Amino acid sequence: MIKFESVYLRKNDKEIFSGLNFFVQKNEKVLIQGKSGIGKTTLFKILLGFESIDKGKVSFNGKNITKEYIAEIRHQIFYLSQDIDLKNERVKSLLDEIWEQNPLKNQHKTHFSDLLNFLDLNDIILNQSVKELSGGERQRIGLFIGFLLDRPVWLLDEPTSAIDDTMKKKITNYIIGLEKTIVIISHDDVWKKNNTIKIKRW
Amino acid sequence: MGAQDLTILSLASLLIFLIPVFYINRRLRLTINKTMTFAIIRMCIQLSFVGIYLEFLFKFNSPVLNIIYLLIMISIACQSILRSSNLKILKFFIPVFFSLLFPFAIILLFFNAVVVRIDNLFEAKYMIPIGGMLLGNCLRSIIIGLNNFYSGIKKDEKTYLYSLSLFCSHIQALKPYFKESIIASITPTIASMATIGLVSLPGMMTGQILGGSVPIVAIKYQIAIMLSIFYAEYFSTILSVLFSLKVGFNELDVLNQNIFVSKK
Repeated sequence: MIKFESVYLRKNDKEIFSGLNFFVQKNEKVLIQGKSGIGKTTLFKILLGFESIDKGKVSFNGKNITKEYIAEIRHQIFYLSQDIDLKNERVKSLLDEIWEQNPLKNQHKTHFSDLLNFLDLNDIILNQSVKELSGGERQRIGLFIGFLLDRPVWLLDEPTSAIDDTMKKKITNYIIGLEKTIVIISHDDVWKKNNTIKIKRW
Repeated sequence: MGAQDLTILSLASLLIFLIPVFYINRRLRLTINKTMTFAIIRMCIQLSFVGIYLEFLFKFNSPVLNIIYLLIMISIACQSILRSSNLKILKFFIPVFFSLLFPFAIILLFFNAVVVRIDNLFEAKYMIPIGGMLLGNCLRSIIIGLNNFYSGIKKDEKTYLYSLSLFCSHIQALKPYFKESIIASITPTIASMATIGLVSLPGMMTGQILGGSVPIVAIKYQIAIMLSIFYAEYFSTILSVLFSLKVGFNELDVLNQNIFVSKK
């Protein structure tokens, strides 16, 4: 599904990748751990076409990250960035805009409210603006968007850093049970407790 | 009937008031005497040149010459737009040139043909001053528009990229920045339309009245020119952003960092 073959990248005179090989199979769950500043997030950005590499080969589902395929590739990836950089708007109108661009497969009202309940979110939050949300609320709204978009590949960058422990367990178990290809960057030990997850230490 | 001519001497007499200005600047230790003098000298020289070639253009009144003159003015406008917007001139020259040219040409010709109904559409007396006013104003609004757009995205790049990942559409991700830049660039003109005539008489009207027009004619022209300026600004700002996208972003829709003039 995801292939990085002898990838080289220098950024601001700093070597980020020198001959990196990294593969993820379909429906595999991979946890990446390692110090900050070693290019974990960069890995995601390369897949999304936000950064380009100096040398090597990167492919997604057998397709190179090029102009031709980038829209198709982005459509298959749900990315949760570390700071959940949602633009500042009322949550409701932001969500509407997202659905407008990505027709949802499951449009049932109950599905929608079930997910809100599961993430311990309520209707009030929908009328707040993104700026007013706490870190944890932002993370859960981010995941909420991910659940509804239901894209086949998930790239999660520290998805549970601001969520409390009980919720964390619930969410990680749920995410790992999904039939999706998922790559997670996290310092949280809660992800490791699961046997299905493959751990990569950098 | 026209305005009374000024002799060079009487014009120069206005410089008398510079004496107290210099004096006060000095007492207050405002170090702007040099810049001020320089600016005044530049103004006199530049306007004298304009006078000479306008005289020349008006005398020949040749459509070809007038068009060439305006094209040169557009090129100069492009340069000053890009110089004051910290975007690289070479990369953006062509998109900005065309974003000025299209609305400008359409509105100017419409003004001459439909509003004023002159027989010779390229009549220097109308084309040059009206064109100059349109250009001068478009210049300001494009500067605001482009600056706002590109610096907005640069400042907000993470959010822009995240929108790109959610929407998977370049245009959709650009929308908020696009909206903001249009609003920023036309707000000053909208504000001045709302207050015009309350405090000061616009320059063009003053000129026409001095030139012998009756006030009501001058006012009609003023309204016509304000509307034309507004339309030209509006469309040229939108086009300048649209035309520049190909230069501003790489083929994966990421902002090109090498379009900004590096500040040192």
